[in-house]
Amino acid sequence: MSYFSSSIGRKQIVGICGLGLSLFVLTHMLGNLLVFLGPQAYNEYGHALTSNKLIYIAEAGLLAILIGHVIYTVLLTIRNKNARPKKYAVTPAGEKKTNFAAKTMIYQGVVILVFIIHHLLTFKFGEEYEVQYGEVIMRDLYRLMVEVFSQPIYVVWYVIAVIILWTHLGHGFSSSFKSLGFNHPKYVKKIDTAGCIYAAVVCLGFIAQPLYMFMNN
Amino acid sequence: MSKELSSNEPTGPIEERWQSHKFNMKLVNPANKTKHSVIIVGTGLAGASAASTLAELGYNVKSFCIQDSPRRAHSIAAQGGINAAKNYPNDGDSVFRLFYDTVKGGDFRSRESNVYRLAQVSNNIIDQCVAQGVPFAREYGGTLSNRSFGGAQVSRTFYAKGQTGQQLLLGAYAGMMKQSANKKIEIFARREMLDLVLVDGVARGITVRNLTTGEIESHSADAVLLCTGGYGNVFYLSTNAMNSNVTASWRCHKKGAYFANPCYTQIHPTCVPVSGDYQSKLTLMSESLRNDGRVWVPKEKGDKRHPNEIPENERDYYLERIYPSFGNLVPRDVASRQAKFRVDEGRGVGPTGVAVYLDFKSAIEKKGEAAIKDKYGNLFQMYEKITGENPYKVPMRIFPAVHYTMGGLWVDYNLQSSIPGLHVLGEANFSDHGSNRLGASALMQGLADGYFVIPYTLGNFIANTELADVDTNHEAFKKSKEKCEKSLQKLLDIKGTKSVDYFHKKLGHIMWEYVGMSRNATGLKKAIEEIPKLREEFWKDVRVLGENNFKNTELEKAGRVADFLELGELMARDALNREESCGGHFREEHQTPENEAKRNDEDFCHVSAWELKSEEKLDWVENKEPLKFEYVKLANRSYK
Amino acid sequence: MAGAGGKNLNLKLKVWKQKGPNDSGHFLNYDANGISTDMSFLEMLDVMNEDLISNGQEPIEFDHDCREGICGTCSLVINGEPHGPDKGTTTCQLHMRRFKDGDTIAIEPFRAKAFPVIRDLIVDRSAFDRIIEAGGYISTNTGNAVDANAMPIGKAEADEAFNSAACIGCGACVAACKNASASLFTSAKLSHLAAIPQGQAERISRANSMVAQMDSEAFGACTNTGACEAACPKEISIENIAVMNREFAISSLKSRK
Repeated sequence: MSYFSSSIGRKQIVGICGLGLSLFVLTHMLGNLLVFLGPQAYNEYGHALTSNKLIYIAEAGLLAILIGHVIYTVLLTIRNKNARPKKYAVTPAGEKKTNFAAKTMIYQGVVILVFIIHHLLTFKFGEEYEVQYGEVIMRDLYRLMVEVFSQPIYVVWYVIAVIILWTHLGHGFSSSFKSLGFNHPKYVKKIDTAGCIYAAVVCLGFIAQPLYMFMNN
Repeated sequence: MSKELSSNEPTGPIEERWQSHKFNMKLVNPANKTKHSVIIVGTGLAGASAASTLAELGYNVKSFCIQDSPRRAHSIAAQGGINAAKNYPNDGDSVFRLFYDTVKGGDFRSRESNVYRLAQVSNNIIDQCVAQGVPFAREYGGTLSNRSFGGAQVSRTFYAKGQTGQQLLLGAYAGMMKQSANKKIEIFARREMLDLVLVDGVARGITVRNLTTGEIESHSADAVLLCTGGYGNVFYLSTNAMNSNVTASWRCHKKGAYFANPCYTQIHPTCVPVSGDYQSKLTLMSESLRNDGRVWVPKEKGDKRHPNEIPENERDYYLERIYPSFGNLVPRDVASRQAKFRVDEGRGVGPTGVAVYLDFKSAIEKKGEAAIKDKYGNLFQMYEKITGENPYKVPMRIFPAVHYTMGGLWVDYNLQSSIPGLHVLGEANFSDHGSNRLGASALMQGLADGYFVIPYTLGNFIANTELADVDTNHEAFKKSKEKCEKSLQKLLDIKGTKSVDYFHKKLGHIMWEYVGMSRNATGLKKAIEEIPKLREEFWKDVRVLGENNFKNTELEKAGRVADFLELGELMARDALNREESCGGHFREEHQTPENEAKRNDEDFCHVSAWELKSEEKLDWVENKEPLKFEYVKLANRSYK
Repeated sequence: MAGAGGKNLNLKLKVWKQKGPNDSGHFLNYDANGISTDMSFLEMLDVMNEDLISNGQEPIEFDHDCREGICGTCSLVINGEPHGPDKGTTTCQLHMRRFKDGDTIAIEPFRAKAFPVIRDLIVDRSAFDRIIEAGGYISTNTGNAVDANAMPIGKAEADEAFNSAACIGCGACVAACKNASASLFTSAKLSHLAAIPQGQAERISRANSMVAQMDSEAFGACTNTGACEAACPKEISIENIAVMNREFAISSLKSRK
């Protein structure tokens, strides 16, 4: 049987891509912390990234990972939905009920995907303001952020989306390790804890930025 | 009219009999084996082990079970363990000692040659199971662990927590599934055997009902192996699974297979007592518990105090008192009878007064709760689920319950019944346990028959028999199919007023009352009068709803209860006929002054193999197989 | 109907009725009155069925056999929970003292495409047999074995193997999983055989073929929700699934197929 058509193979690809994306969101969040240092630091960081030719390879890679994550998830979800054509009349309420976050990963994923597209349209493909520091003219992303995050509706949507990302990462991070075969009483608690800490750090870091911008304007 | 049966056992020194018999038997060459087919009914330890082994040898096997998967046969519920004469603990065990203990434990009513063979192959079974990956309990050094069981003074029982039967069965089932993948076994699950088909007096096939669709199917083969377990459910309440039944055996009996020693039933001493009349089955608490548990009742009659409030000096640890050398580890028949005596004296405990205590207090004090939990955790948990009481704090309440039937279809040394081609393995046959089976010996016998005996003796049968080409188009199959269809329709057409369970419970009551733990002539005669009446009422007034062409549990049950209603009568007749007490068969007229079983070797040192002369009138003739004891001298069984 | 020490309950039952695999099925409501708290859940159904039969109504069909929690025949999803509310318990071991007077109890079959309904609450679980058939065994013909103590196995490994081997194949894991995945069942067998030396010879091919069979049945994939572990009456650990994932990945790398 082909690894790529097996349920476990696909699950592992979703997991590996997920971990790749997790690494990306962490660096993205850390880079973005520069907004707290002011417009110049932030814009120069953005410029440094985008002016490097390697960015195209990185972006292509990132896009591939995202597509891999999404496509294989969709394939698995179709399989999973078909596996239970008739639903139960009652959802378990007692000791056998399952964790809400774990049960709703696919729905979280859909919201996050919509958010990503919207986010890209707003920022990456958004208004191209310019700013000059010294001799270099570069894109004034900081100004765009200030503008966007002055709208309460956008801030609310952003915060909600990031909270959903939080639950997604909270389950997804440790789940990926389990899909890859890492689950042993010796360290499983540590992976779970690391996942929780990681998800909290990333998401609090992200949430802090629009709130900071909104408050300061 | 009555015949003397020959066991066809080899002669010579007992330790060489099986070896020389194996050499003297004819072989079927490997290429020819693939041309022969075998039907195996039942997938418990005997059936599954026989199926996988015969398929490995090259035979084409068709395997049938009433369960939805072969893995669920009732062997799965065996808890305690499996005996073998490995002598790993270096405590003096040997093949001869296992043989000796089993013959003595069976109260000298088994066939010495069979028992010796069983003891000989016991060691191979353990090797085989370990090779299959059965996770037996082990010591820290990696070697296999042993524990003690009743009726033995050595530790020879191998176990996997309290789930030994499960692990052994899953091992045999895995072997079956491998052969199923190889297309050497065809598995027919949810099929119930309704009839044996004879062609020219030889068993050549079976008629089964597909329990899902109701369809009646015919299957032919060169031989039929019956591995369908015991008939304890004739008592309604027993430790058997709800679907365990006698139908397959009984239909073979009706086709001419002799039924041997039907009255030998084993009442297991440690079961959870009955709590109400809705009770559907009884749950066994493994005999291994008697390694650490102490059995007692209050010294005073009608002492209603909470067990923890009864001081040591007011307790009667009666097994330790009466049997100082075996103590709580006396064989099952002895322990059960003593519990019944205590209850009859009015010293029973619990809300119903029909129970005795099994107390772990001193074991917990000595070894610690953790050690006890490690050994019996799952059993304690099971007890708590059923009763709502915590056995770590309050003594367990236990009472004997029907557990195993030593009787069954008569077979010779080759496991062949009185019908050529029909072989009977495991609990379904009568052969190895005499009138009382020792703990952890049922698993041993099932696997010995399936893995190590039938592969040889079946080859001998096939090599020695001219088997004409027969398929299911043969007239005999058509007739059998018609008969089965008619009798099912008959059950549906009665449209009476009482459910199947009503009759089953009534029969169970008669059986327990008069053919139970202790029997007497008056009671047995009463049973012989009552059962036919009940049978008549059943055929007039049973209500079986639904149709034949869908899953219909009531219809399945009805067929089984109809057979139990006939078997029950034969059991009572056999018990009445056997004017002695031996093992599980206790006739109140025949006991020593200390209430121990008193055998009558002069008149009853034989197997009673009942032949049905007339199906309509239920008229039986007793054939006898004399038993010889050359190696274990006939003696009074004493565990004092 | 009263038990020796228990109380009596009056209950409302909402039971799934389905004549056969092609019928669409529906719920039927029943009153179960005077149920002793000492009864097991299945004894409660027995009592119900006796009532139904005496009223000329067809009884409720359900699967059961040993009634001591080991054969894996009984099933039932009780109020949304496979084998009912108690952890580590099969339906046959569930007792009515767990319920309160006046409770409504919904009883459904195990629902999964791979487990088609045969009738009412009875489903066909033969997909599990086919998974075992694909490789859930150690190939050793009778008579080949060496002495049982020739190959020492440490107590820890033996216990670990036992814990996985304790699976009763009831299918509650599939019933509980939102994806109706058979991962816990399949992985328990893979882990059992991977943990012991006897299982090493076929280890590579086993993982591959068992997973392939699991996938070819209509089971879903694992998403690590843990529902299977919570529902498992034998408390088989979800760690087994990680073992399977590992075994499968290694097997995919090494296998020549």
